[in-house]
Amino acid sequence: MSLQGDPESEVLADHTEPPRATAWIYEHSPRTVWRAVFREDNFFLVLSVFIGVLSGLAVVCFRYAIDWARLYLLGTGVVLTPVRLLLAPSLAGLVISVLVIHVFPRTRGSGVNQTKAALYIYNGHIPFRTAIGKFITAALAIGSGHSLGPEDPSLQIGASLASVLGRKMRLSRDRMRLIAPVGAAAGLAAAFNAPISAVLFVIEEVIGRWTAGILGSVVLSAISSVVVMRWFLGSESMFRIPAVEMTQPLELIAYAVLGVVGGIASVVFASGIGILRPAFKGLPRWTQYFQPAIAGLLIGIIAVLGAPQVMGAGYEYIDQAMHGQFTWQFLAILAGLKIVATLLSFVSGTPGGMFAPTLFIGAMLGAAVGGAERYMFPYLTISPGTYALVGMGVLFAGFLRAPMTSVFMVLEVSGNYSIIVPVIVANTFSYVISRGLQPIPIFDVLTRQDGLELPSMEELREEDILQVEDAMQPGEGPVLDAEETVEKALQHVDGTRGEDLLVRLSPSGWSTVTRDHLRALASDGKASAKLGPLLLVPRIPYLHPDLPLETALRYIERWPLVPVVSRANFQQLEGVVSQRSVLDRYREFGEG
Amino acid sequence: MPEVQEQKASRERLSRIRLYVRQRPVMLVLLTAVTVVFFVFVAALSRAYRDQQRLLGNRWYQRGVADLSGKRYQAAVTDFRAALLYSRDNYTYQLNLAEALLGMNRRAEASAYFLNLWDRQPEDGLVNLELARIAAQKGQAQQAVRYYHDAVYAVWPTQQEIQRREARLELIELLLRSNAKGQAQAELIALSENANEDPVQLEVLGDLFMRAQDYEHALGEYRLSLKADGHNAKTLAGAGYAAYELGQYPLAEHYLQDAVKQDPHDSATAERLKTTEMVLRMDPYRRKISSSERGRLVLEAFATAGQRLQKCAMPSGDGADPGGMSLSDQWSALKPQITQRGLQRSSDLADGAMDLVFRIERQTSLSCGAPTGPDLALLLISKLREGNRF
Repeated sequence: MSLQGDPESEVLADHTEPPRATAWIYEHSPRTVWRAVFREDNFFLVLSVFIGVLSGLAVVCFRYAIDWARLYLLGTGVVLTPVRLLLAPSLAGLVISVLVIHVFPRTRGSGVNQTKAALYIYNGHIPFRTAIGKFITAALAIGSGHSLGPEDPSLQIGASLASVLGRKMRLSRDRMRLIAPVGAAAGLAAAFNAPISAVLFVIEEVIGRWTAGILGSVVLSAISSVVVMRWFLGSESMFRIPAVEMTQPLELIAYAVLGVVGGIASVVFASGIGILRPAFKGLPRWTQYFQPAIAGLLIGIIAVLGAPQVMGAGYEYIDQAMHGQFTWQFLAILAGLKIVATLLSFVSGTPGGMFAPTLFIGAMLGAAVGGAERYMFPYLTISPGTYALVGMGVLFAGFLRAPMTSVFMVLEVSGNYSIIVPVIVANTFSYVISRGLQPIPIFDVLTRQDGLELPSMEELREEDILQVEDAMQPGEGPVLDAEETVEKALQHVDGTRGEDLLVRLSPSGWSTVTRDHLRALASDGKASAKLGPLLLVPRIPYLHPDLPLETALRYIERWPLVPVVSRANFQQLEGVVSQRSVLDRYREFGEG
Repeated sequence: MPEVQEQKASRERLSRIRLYVRQRPVMLVLLTAVTVVFFVFVAALSRAYRDQQRLLGNRWYQRGVADLSGKRYQAAVTDFRAALLYSRDNYTYQLNLAEALLGMNRRAEASAYFLNLWDRQPEDGLVNLELARIAAQKGQAQQAVRYYHDAVYAVWPTQQEIQRREARLELIELLLRSNAKGQAQAELIALSENANEDPVQLEVLGDLFMRAQDYEHALGEYRLSLKADGHNAKTLAGAGYAAYELGQYPLAEHYLQDAVKQDPHDSATAERLKTTEMVLRMDPYRRKISSSERGRLVLEAFATAGQRLQKCAMPSGDGADPGGMSLSDQWSALKPQITQRGLQRSSDLADGAMDLVFRIERQTSLSCGAPTGPDLALLLISKLREGNRF
């Protein structure tokens, strides 16, 4: 909406602006600067940095906790004893279930959804206890070998810390709602060592909209947390990225095949969660004490039988897959087993995230598809490492249904922009197949299973936005000119319809006048006077056809007719909107 | 009453403090303090964590080193992988893991590690050398040469000169295998300039020059080596072979005789000596011989060539003169004139006869394979006369 035509702003300007010199002194006085710094929007930015730093520190502690848990529960080597492989996840599962049921009941479930719930339902409130619970139980679960990742808990720890800070700082309700996503971005960025992906993910999956105000805070917090994390844990990426190459355009077909396979795997994975999670939740309450332990035992059996790679987050094995250290057949088996192990861990209610398993499955699947294609078509110079990298994005797009993050995540992790075409091709196939076969995204499935009704980000992204032009109608009466006389104006309107008439002001702007008012002016003997100075309303706002229709809602109640003008020429009327036309359009939209 | 008033005042003070503390600037200061304390706490935690990780990493690394030196490559790989769990980017651990992987012949994985290490320290000699070896094994000669060159000029932690020399020797081997003799000669010259006086090294250099067909330098290296150890049969033989290839038959005879004396069981050298002696004996152009002796040698050579012609079935037209006469016909036509007296009378006849002999030997060597015995000697004499070398 253009403010040029807003009479309120003009009035405000007339009454509050002091003379220029005084204004300068006023604006630069320490008191004004001090107030400006602590004005809520500025203060929110400062607070975002603190949220980032504190989240980064918390995530560093979380990473240490996972490593220590792994060290003491599973041992120090890479070849682990069967006794530990079986006992560690089972016993840890028992402890976790007691903690989750009795001490930290809100640590179950997805951190992404809990952050969304804080944003849309609880006014930004996430209890600090949830962060502590998530920290302890997820560290224990991942460290003992449950097939889960640290990213989602990190996201929730960040969100929870941010929520506490927001409450202590007594932020307004609007800011409080937004503070949890700011913390979530910080937590995720530190866990992933990828600030751009974290920012995109939070905007794509938690907030669901781009606004300059929130974007600044999210970026600041994400960067601060990554800086802190790198301070303590180093700046190396999670994987050693192999040389990325795509020598023949024909290879794009091979990447498309990877996208198809990834899309199907995503559907299997998501459907498994969709079916098994409510089934496990529906079992008698006493079984919940044993569900994580049994899941842990089964994962231990998988490990003892020859696939210890499925335990924990598995980043080191993603790295090995990227460097061709497994055969393509074993990679395919690992992808399948990881889906099983993650399903077991997640549906049993063990706290932990699905980001790392998703990346693991994607990398294994990608490297397997790449290996198989190389076996079948040796003339294609396929590098399994590149396929593993693209595979991670494919599962991200298909399973988590975050298409934009999936592309940027691969770019950020690989640091190589030449991979963008294969990533986009494969991710598109995966996303489209996943959407076709599994209409409800996984986060929405989890939300509904938890009995919440949160906005679906996918639906929001794809929702049609009504614009002013959708409700715009041609004006009924003629457009009068402010420079013409009342008498001439009456002649113009004679024989036309419509009570309210638009007046084109000179040199620019619009106003309105009623037929009755014109007649009254004529009978008062002002027929020969110019219309402009006699108008009751000096100026009314105007709209442009491409503006969202909701902008019109601000004006239609106060002004019976709002002109819609061309952006190229503000004097050129494109149409008008009225309360009736706007509401009619909304009604049609709702019915349609 | 005063107590009540005091309580009220105290409550008001407390409320004022609370109000003050809740002001944003004060909250910000408190938040900064909390952040600093948390930071210090995490720093301490981090130090403890890192110490433990270092300790564990080092423990697994030591085990890996022991396994690697015992050639238990599988165990070494497991150990180094475990060490890397605690220090993922440790250069030494990665280097050793890559070495162990190479020991297991898992070249692709090893190569990935070496490339990663190369990115971090492109001046590391060992990494360049291993990458060169992997590239050479893959048949990527150009890349291998590049890595070998880098290894030659790289930094080596210990025995830098020896390591550089070994790297260059491997490079020369690769070049010789790839038949890039010119490049190999250049590398050998560079290597010989920095060589010390160790006779074994000099002999190796001589051998390599021989393989690169740089007989002049080869003879030089053997001679230098013989200065330090004049009784080394292999070096003597090498010098003899080099002189032989250079057409310096008297010198070759001298070295080969000494070599056979030192090692009478060396049949190849003995055979070469025999050929050399034959060349010296059968050459009709050698100085200080009488005309009758020269005639006898020409007669002998003519007969030998005739026998060679009889044994070797050449395609018709091979070696024919401009008139279309075959070598056999030319030989038969000339034979009646080739007598002791005729040869003594006309030096032109002797030259013509020898010219035919040389042509026959050359042509038959092309058509019927390398000659032996007197035929080989005649062929060598023909090359000598032309001033050519093999």
